[in-house]
Parts: sequence; structure tokens; C-alpha cells
Amino acid sequence: MSTTRTRSASRSAGFGGTVAAEWTKLWSVRSTWWTLLAAVLVTAASAGQLAIYAANANTNDDPADDRGIVTVGSVLVDSMELTQYAVLALGLLAVTSEFTSGTIRTTLQCTPSRGRVLLAKAVVTAAVTFPLGLLLGGVGVLVARPVLGEWGAAPVADTLRDLLAVATYLALVGVLALGLGAALRSAVLTLIVLLATLMVVPLSLQEPDITVLNRIADGFPAVAGGHFMAGDAEPYPALAGLLLLAGWACAALGIGRAALRRRDA
Amino acid sequence: MITLRGLTKRFGRTTAVDSLTVDIAPGRVTGFLGPNGAGKSTTMRMILGLDRPTAGQALIGGRAYRELRHPLYEVGALLDAKAIHPARSGRAHLLATARSNGIPARRVDEVLATVGLDDRAAAKPGRTLSLGMGQRLGIAGALLGDPPVLMFDEPVNGLDPDGVRWVRQLMRRLAEQGRTVFVSSHLMTEMQLTADQLVVIGRGRLLVDAPVDEVVAGSAVAVRVRSPHPDGLAKLAERLTAAGATVEPAGPDELTVTGATVDRVGDLAYESGVRLHELSPHGASLERAFMELTADSVEYAGVPGTVGEHR
Repeated sequence: MSTTRTRSASRSAGFGGTVAAEWTKLWSVRSTWWTLLAAVLVTAASAGQLAIYAANANTNDDPADDRGIVTVGSVLVDSMELTQYAVLALGLLAVTSEFTSGTIRTTLQCTPSRGRVLLAKAVVTAAVTFPLGLLLGGVGVLVARPVLGEWGAAPVADTLRDLLAVATYLALVGVLALGLGAALRSAVLTLIVLLATLMVVPLSLQEPDITVLNRIADGFPAVAGGHFMAGDAEPYPALAGLLLLAGWACAALGIGRAALRRRDA
Repeated sequence: MITLRGLTKRFGRTTAVDSLTVDIAPGRVTGFLGPNGAGKSTTMRMILGLDRPTAGQALIGGRAYRELRHPLYEVGALLDAKAIHPARSGRAHLLATARSNGIPARRVDEVLATVGLDDRAAAKPGRTLSLGMGQRLGIAGALLGDPPVLMFDEPVNGLDPDGVRWVRQLMRRLAEQGRTVFVSSHLMTEMQLTADQLVVIGRGRLLVDAPVDEVVAGSAVAVRVRSPHPDGLAKLAERLTAAGATVEPAGPDELTVTGATVDRVGDLAYESGVRLHELSPHGASLERAFMELTADSVEYAGVPGTVGEHR
């Protein structure tokens, strides 16, 4: 026990301190690395598979299948439907693992402001998932390009735009998963709600192909993100898709913050 | 200084903590005693801003925990020794804790040394830590910010006798340095050795807030009297009964007296001219005082005679 007090030392940790703590926590467990590895493998497999489908559609005997030359970026964007789950795990585990292990109490003792804790986690999640998205995009392109062969095109500017869009999408759904995790506390429950929100519900709405239901589905985060990544002009501009997705992420954070503030830890 | 004012916590219809008003002063070890389910942990969690009080408030140095910017410099607390991520090393756990409040990393090594965890132990993942090591790690975490207020929930659980003695000495030393030390325990004997002041609760209500000595002295003390003269002993028994004490024979040459102090029994023996070979207080422990205090407020009282019965 040192009798000399350290209280005067660097007291201005503030928000940066909370972020540093979250960063330390994320990288001090091996599951983070496994999740990254899984994300890379899933991207490679998914992009490869979709590229094979695209090439095959152009070379089989049924002319109705012909898609012509597709961009590598579009294959990459489509592969995100599966890849995103590895990234979602990163976001939701950042908070649900704290409830499982009981460390949430330590975290809130260190930083009593619930909003600050959640925002710091969001910053760290986004700071990891965005560059991860760029990496995954690179992997997807490297795998899809040779598989597509003559049926693929990779104009540099468009491909870079797709890479950035994918990275942005993954960062936002990562934060969405984090906010939901803070509200629901259980990893399994959070994953179920995410599956429903990102896939099951919008797919069910789109299934009968009724205009009004399609419009509703367009409001869901993954569909909005899909329009953003594809650079669609219909049913709304790509930027609107981005804003919609960002809105979902912010709303999830808000719900998570409210839950953290209201409920006993 | 920890100040509790009408602190109340209700879970549905259950009142876990019932308008607790206590000051926990600096410079001494305050033992926080109560049977299981008395509300000790809930009270500590409310002090740390983890549970929201239904009514009343808990203040540290006059401020609510949630208002503290860098709380580790103000309050250090060990709540649950097992609260570490199963895959994270003890050292990384402390490092993250330190960084959150801008505490320099070298302080992590200092507190690890203080609690006697070497590099190998600190590198082990959480799931492999024994309860005792977890307690030491938790205490290390509480000491990180060198805070003037310290709280420990059952800190000697899972420690070996050496560890228990070490914790006892640490608490004493922290209090001697002028800090507020608030320790919960269900081990009454441990508190008798460690604490200066006792706060006893039962069913969430304050039963006692007094110095340890006073609590022990105030408990019903039995007095053991031994004499080589059976006749004299009988005479003394008569005098004692006349004086309002309860006397029970404990053997051919021995009496157990309740309802009279050792001094009083000694005086009466002298007045009666009875030669004594032993006159001693018996069972005057915190344990006994505690049982008496909480007799009416035990949440999970065993029902005698139900074990082994087939219903």
C-alpha cells in the first residue's frame, strides 16, 4: 500500500479514459480474435459462392439466367447478408458478456454515467468494425474477382465506393447490435431480435410482393443498408438508406442507454 | 465518510432495505453485519449507484456516486470476487479498470504487489482463478485509485487462514491511515477481531450502530462459577436467585448464571463468604450478541424437526 496518494495524477481521463478501458477490454479476450477470423472466413466463402453463382448463371444453357457482366463490388455487397453476423457478434458481446460475467458492475463503478459507458463502447465497436469492414471488403474482392473471371468487372472508383459502403454498413449494424445488447442483456435474446429485425421480418414482408408491404420492409435497417450499399435510386436515394440505418443504430443506443439507466445493474 | 439517509429499496412487495440512516465514519473499520438476505449487498450496491434506491439517499463525502467523475479516486469497492471475464487475465482486468479513471498503469503493478499476486497469477484468465485469488484481485481493484473510502463485501470468503489474517491487517492499516473502511460479513467472530464499529441490520432494518465493545458488553453474558464447597455454592445460588439472576447447575461444583454481571456475582460470592476457583464470563462474544439481535429477523430460519421427515 503506497501511503503517498496518487490522486493528483492525471485526473483528466474523461471520455478518453472510458474509451481506453473499453479498448483494453475488447482486445484482452481471445474471442475477439476468433470473431475477426470467422468474419474473414465467412466473407471469403460467401463472396466466392456468390461469384460462382454469377459466373455459372452466364455460362449455363438457360438464357433466362444471364446476368451479363457484374461488378465485383455487387458480389461483395451481397455477401454482407451472411458476413454481418460475425460483426454483429462483436458489437453485442461487448455488452452482453459484461452482464454474463458480472463485470458490468465494475464498469459502472469506474464510469457511473451509463450514457458515457455505452457511447465509449459504440466508439470502440465502430472503430473496430469499420476497418474490419474494409479488410473484409478487400478479402471479398480478392476472392470474387478471379472466380468471376470474364464475367466480372472491377472499376476502381466503384469498387472503392463499395468497400467504404460495406465498412460503413458493418460499423452501423455493429453499433445497432451493441445498443440492443445493452437493452436486452442476453446474447441469445439479442441475436434472436437481430435475426428477426435484419432478416426474418423484412423477408416475410417482401415475400408476397405487395407494394405497401415492400415499402414497410424498405424501412428496416438491413434493407435500408442494402439500398445504401447498392447505390440505389429507388425507392429512395442511397443517402436516405444510410440515414435510415444510422437512425436505427442511434435508436438502439438510446434504448440501451435508457435501459442501463433505469434498471439495477 | 458514507452517509445513508432513509435509504430504502423495495423489490415488488419485498422490502430489502428499510429506511436505513447511518453515518460510516473515517478512521475506523465499520463492520456491516446481518444474516443472509438482510440487505447488506443491496445497501452496498446502492452506495455504489448500481441499484437505484426506492427512497432516501446514499452519499459519499456528501455526493451521490453517480455524480462522481473519477469515482475510483473517491471510493474503492470489492463486491463480487468472481466478477471477472472468464477469458480476461487479472492484469488486463485491472488495467482496463485503471485506464477508465486515468490511473497510471504502474499503479496496477503496485496494487498487485500489495495483494500478493505475482506475474504468473496475474496473467491467468479469470475462469482459472480460485475464489481466494479472485478476492485478492478484487481488493487490488479497490485500492487502484488510493481512495479515502473503501467497501468490501465479504472479503475473507474463500481465503485461507493466512489470507484472512492478511485481510484483517490490511483493513486495520487502511483505517489507521484515516480512511473509511466499510466491511460486510456474516462471520461475527471475524468482525470482533477487525471492526471498531458495528452496523447490524436484519430484514433491511438497522438494529445496532455502536462500537464493538459496547455490543459485546450489552449482550446477555452467562457467568461461570466454580467452587470446591458445594454448600457455599448452594448458598450463593440462593443469593443470586434472590437478586433476580437465573442459576443453573452446570456440574457438581459449577453454576451457570445469567442475568447478572461478572462483577455482581463476584460481589455476592464475597458477601456470602464462598471460596471460588473460577469466576468467568461465558459466551460473551459477538456471535452471541448477534444471535440475540437478529433472532427476530432471520430471513431463512431453519425449521427444527423437518429434516429427514417424509411428508
